[in-house]
Amino acid sequence: MKPELIEQLRKETAGEDLDLSWLEAPAAQRGLRVAPGKRGLTVEDIATESYGDIPQQTRNQTGRMRGAAPRSDAQSTQKIWGSKAAVWSESAMLLYEEAVQRQWSSATDIPWHEMPELPEELELAMSQLCTFLTQVEFIAGDVPGQYAPNVSGEYFEIGLFLASQIMDEARHLDVFRKRALANGIGLLSAGPGAVGLLTAQDFTEMASTLHLVGEGFVQSMFRMGELFAQSEVDKRMFRLAAQDESRHVAFGVMHMKYVMDTQPERRDEIHTYLDRMEGQIGGGSAQAGLTGGGPTAEALAILLGGGTSESQLREGYGKLLAIRKRQVNEYMHRLEVVGLGDRRQRMAPMMQMLLDPPRN
Amino acid sequence: MADTEAKEELTAAPQLPPLPPLDMSWAKAPTERPPRPKIGEEGLTLRLADHGSYGWAPDHWPYENDTPRGAFPAADMGLPAPYTIYEKAEVWADNAADLYELAIKEQWKPATQIAWNSIEALPEHIEYALDQIFSNISEQQYNSNAVLMGWLKQISYGYHEVKLYLATQSFDQARHVEAFRKRALANGGGLGVQTPGFFSRAVMASFKFTELIVYTNIIRASFLLALCEQSDKLARSKADRQLFENTANDLRRHLAYGIEHLKYYLQTGPQRRAQVKNWLDRGEVMMAADLQRDKPLREAFILALGDTVAQGKERLRALRQAQLEKYLLTLEAATIYDRRPLVQHRLQEAVEAP
Repeated sequence: MKPELIEQLRKETAGEDLDLSWLEAPAAQRGLRVAPGKRGLTVEDIATESYGDIPQQTRNQTGRMRGAAPRSDAQSTQKIWGSKAAVWSESAMLLYEEAVQRQWSSATDIPWHEMPELPEELELAMSQLCTFLTQVEFIAGDVPGQYAPNVSGEYFEIGLFLASQIMDEARHLDVFRKRALANGIGLLSAGPGAVGLLTAQDFTEMASTLHLVGEGFVQSMFRMGELFAQSEVDKRMFRLAAQDESRHVAFGVMHMKYVMDTQPERRDEIHTYLDRMEGQIGGGSAQAGLTGGGPTAEALAILLGGGTSESQLREGYGKLLAIRKRQVNEYMHRLEVVGLGDRRQRMAPMMQMLLDPPRN
Repeated sequence: MADTEAKEELTAAPQLPPLPPLDMSWAKAPTERPPRPKIGEEGLTLRLADHGSYGWAPDHWPYENDTPRGAFPAADMGLPAPYTIYEKAEVWADNAADLYELAIKEQWKPATQIAWNSIEALPEHIEYALDQIFSNISEQQYNSNAVLMGWLKQISYGYHEVKLYLATQSFDQARHVEAFRKRALANGGGLGVQTPGFFSRAVMASFKFTELIVYTNIIRASFLLALCEQSDKLARSKADRQLFENTANDLRRHLAYGIEHLKYYLQTGPQRRAQVKNWLDRGEVMMAADLQRDKPLREAFILALGDTVAQGKERLRALRQAQLEKYLLTLEAATIYDRRPLVQHRLQEAVEAP
């Protein structure tokens, strides 16, 4: 900034009270000219030069965003987590932009007008499945939301991603509710739900329990939605929801990988969260079994077998077991990616028996 | 996943244990059987789907877990959740379901729907001044959003329309954070100086949900909306205009929720007017503290709004007056008609002598 221009501004009529030190001697980097690329102007594009320097630790307890100039009198809270490893996920920027681009509408992107009338037992089963899903989906919004106030502006991309996950989960609550109400049955029996996920006491515990296990198991199920969907309406609904869940799972996997890479001493602690989720601690519900037991399992078996006769149920439960197998093996794959391959030996026996042999 | 891929998966299905007996007690749940909705041009909206009892939100929600409204509650509900809000008056707005659908329809994509290439080089002091303003907007929206997200787990499941709407507001605010940051870094400038943070602190310290909404959706949103609506003097490119217009459009929904909620809160408890007055007093004082102490922001507005310093000051005063006016009209829409003479002296001062 040319000093003569500053002087000129101060000398202007009514300019005598201008300080202009923020203009004269800026404490934040200037001269950035970030241009849009093929995917437009993304948050990755602007994480450049000093604005891309993501600190490992920060003492910034104010609302200051990464790269902005500090004020010595800024209000401070002492509530903000000061470590990158506490929240970071290398995929957050990419996944946030993908989430923005791939938003969909439950009102208009599902071909509701093509909804066929189904045999009553199938419609009842789909309504029961959707009652379960509408019950548990927004817990996956409440859980990450609770940590958002602790996420520093130094790591604001994590806050952005969490908002996109909350938006996705809202749409899931909404679309499964609409599906249950769209074909003459309505909502049926609620279950104990997924409130246990709200007990997570830190971000990494949340990523272990919610992303690695809970959402991962739901994602595997949605990805096999072709098997239990009864129409194009249902297929599209599960496809779109699976696409969203993939982002959430990817975020959690990359957070866990970052933690395992930078804080390997947390390995045993993380295993204990997984012990709990797999039902190995006792005294509470095993969240890994959410989609595998009770009314949800029976409804899925009816949908997978095409009815309630003995042969149909046999076929349905057979397919459900195949889904379960896929859920467990995809879970194992995520564990290997994050560096927790030793989980194979610690996994709950009921899950372990579904594991494929390790890949070499 | 393709049909064939899903079917191939089944060949690897493990041995089936003995079948459990068919139960289907869940199918006998005494819940309402709704008629099939007639899908209109807007598709299957929440309002259309939530027919009959499904659309009725009770004044008090009795279930402590995530039981969806209209479903038959389980005999064993498991762990009671940490929700603290079970009273409709604490969160309700009659327009929440409609605003939710509208927000989804109106979502915009900062990366690809802003004409970033339309931004041309500006005189340095103008670019830096604009960037200071953009930095301020980005920071304040991050604060509103972070705190709002934290409140979601307080709201029980009887009021799903509100939870759904708030998710859209959170996603809007996330896009405001990144869009204005992108603009600050796109044209030879960079981020400016952080805010003093008085107002953000008040947002974080909200004890009640309605208090939060008074700060973020009434005071902050009306001040920011007025800024966006008065941005013809600030915007220097098509991209700038799109940013302000899109943000204004989102803020009108945030304001609409805030107004309807506050109205409902007051209609259902006239004695709550005293509480609201306290929140308005506090919010105004904190807003004034930020405005009066944020020298870089004040000077940035002066430089960006006027061709001369004198003109900039004059236009900043007009902007502050428009912001105060928008705020007072917002309160009137929320049935608070007597605020004008009660506006905190500090805020009045910040507006009259910015």
